[in-house]
Amino acid sequence: MRAIYLTGESVYLRAIIAADKETAGAWYAGPFPINAARAEEWLKEVHTDLWGSNKPRRYVIARVADDTPVGGVALALRDNRRGFLTFAMAPWLDEADHLRAEALRLLVPWARDDLELMTLTFAVAADETATIDAAEALGMERTARLRDFVARPDGRVDRFLYQALNAPWRVGDA
Amino acid sequence: MRNPLMVGERVYLRALELEDGETLARYAAEESDTFMYRGRQPQSPIEFEIWLKDAYKANPPPYVEFAVCLRADDRLIGNMGIGDLDWVNRIGETGSYLGAAFRNSGLGTEAKHLLLEYGFERLHLHAIMSTVFEANTRSSAALAKQGYRPAGRLRWTDVKGGVYRDLLVFDLLREEWLAARDAWRATRAGADRGVALPR
Repeated sequence: MRAIYLTGESVYLRAIIAADKETAGAWYAGPFPINAARAEEWLKEVHTDLWGSNKPRRYVIARVADDTPVGGVALALRDNRRGFLTFAMAPWLDEADHLRAEALRLLVPWARDDLELMTLTFAVAADETATIDAAEALGMERTARLRDFVARPDGRVDRFLYQALNAPWRVGDA
Repeated sequence: MRNPLMVGERVYLRALELEDGETLARYAAEESDTFMYRGRQPQSPIEFEIWLKDAYKANPPPYVEFAVCLRADDRLIGNMGIGDLDWVNRIGETGSYLGAAFRNSGLGTEAKHLLLEYGFERLHLHAIMSTVFEANTRSSAALAKQGYRPAGRLRWTDVKGGVYRDLLVFDLLREEWLAARDAWRATRAGADRGVALPR
């Protein structure tokens, strides 16, 4: 099920499958527990827009070495023109920041060059430096800084908004 | 006052009721300003009613929405709320709408301070954000007066006049809001209380 155009060295992205209900803690957004029964229900609730773009498209981030789900990402589209990424990384990971960074390196070229989105936006905490480095290496612009928006055990950090801007958009000649 | 939650000098905030959809739809139909978004759109009372049927179900909620009403006669003059509530990081995003006849009267500022008081002092939020379409300079100025600081912009969000324009992003911390509210209260203390309310 791995998408050949969303496969990197250590992680790949794929559509969610029914068996993923068993590992929802790895890809489901939020700090609260979710069991397999609720995950199965939720997967059916959100996967009701096969051809449209009214609901976010959701993908599992899996490790290449052993296919273990290590996170999830939702791509919400507005007007088929603007994309918004929301990541959820497995809470038990030590290298979540690095794996998210690699997922971003797969997602940005795909959204920009394949989906041809005009803008792609995502939020990142100021202490998630590997992801920030990846965003900037990909040419994303830091377009906003929200002060103190993320709570950490030892205090608060800022949240940055990054955007990939797809400049070639123009009106075609008749 | 009907079912008030936050009460000010001239306005109060209460939960929106199903029948409020009629008034809000009428305000949308009577919208006189064109600079706030890409363009004006009529809204159906049915849409409001369907939204409001579920708006107060979740607990804790993902957003809180209020009716803004006049203390003098309980008239509904608009709505405002805090959306994208994140109960772990204790943040949210404010949004507001006032019927055209009630703008430039100070009523919106008073209601907004009630909303921010609710956010910071009842919900104990740590920070609040808001966004404004670039062309809406009136709302940007209002946010600045309420203590919000510019935080950046989301590029190419929507079209105005044939050009893709940005969404301006603002953020606000509690101490900044308190300072802005104190400054606003000082101006209110010297204000003429005899100004007639819009009919």
